[in-house]
Amino acid sequence: MKYLIILSALFLASCSTPVPLTAKFPEVPETLLKGCPKQLETIEGDNVTIVDFVKTVVRNYGTYHECASKNDSWIEWYQIQKKLWDESE
Amino acid sequence: MFILHFLPDFIIHLVFFVGVLATIAGFVLGFIPLIKSYQLPIQIIGILLLSFGLFIEGGLANEAAWQLKVKEVEAKLAEKEAESQQENVKIVEKLVTKTEFVKGKTQEVIKYLDKEVVKDNEVIKYVEMCPAIPQIILKSVNDAATISHEATK
Repeated sequence: MKYLIILSALFLASCSTPVPLTAKFPEVPETLLKGCPKQLETIEGDNVTIVDFVKTVVRNYGTYHECASKNDSWIEWYQIQKKLWDESE
Repeated sequence: MFILHFLPDFIIHLVFFVGVLATIAGFVLGFIPLIKSYQLPIQIIGILLLSFGLFIEGGLANEAAWQLKVKEVEAKLAEKEAESQQENVKIVEKLVTKTEFVKGKTQEVIKYLDKEVVKDNEVIKYVEMCPAIPQIILKSVNDAATISHEATK
C-alpha cells in the first residue's frame, strides 16, 4: 500500500513539467561584427609634402567617419532589438 | 503533471465520468436491489474515482491552458524574430549606403586636392617654400594616429 502511495505521488507530481520556451538572443548582422582598424594611417618618409600630408589626414578622417557610422549602427541595432525584446515579453 | 504526459486524455475523462456515475449510483440509486447490496463499496469507489478524476481533470485543463499560452508566446516570438531580421537588413543597408558615401566623399576630396594643387598659385608657392614637412610634425601626427594601437598593447 505504501509503495502505491509513493507511486501515485510520483505520477501526480507537477514539478517535473518543463517550460518548452527559450528566448533566442537576436542575431547581429555580420557587417557590424567587423571591427574598426586598429590604427590610423601614418605618414612615413623624409620628403613628405603638404599635399601627401593632407591626403593622409583626409583618409584618416574617412576611416573615422566609417567607424562612426558603424558605431551609430550598433546603437540603432541595440535600441531596436531592445524595443522588440520588451514588446515580446 | 507527470501522469498527463503518457496517459491518454480519454482515460482521464473516462475515470472522471465513471466516478460521477458511481457516486450517483451509490448515493442516489440505492433503492435498486443490485446497487443496494454493494452500496458502500460503490460509494467509496465512486468518491475515490470522482476525487481522482476531478483532480486530474483540473491538471489537464491547467496543462491545456499553459500549452495555449506557450503557443501564443511562441507565435509572438516568431513574429518578433522576423521583425528583428527585417530591421537587421534595414540597418545593414543603411550602413552600407553610409560607408559607400563616406568612401566616395573621401576619394572626391583627394581628387579635388590633386586637381587644385597643380593650378592654385598659392599652393604651388607654398610647396616651393616648404618642400617637406618637418619630422617633428610628422611624428606628432603619427603618434596621434597610433594611440589606440598603443593602448591595446
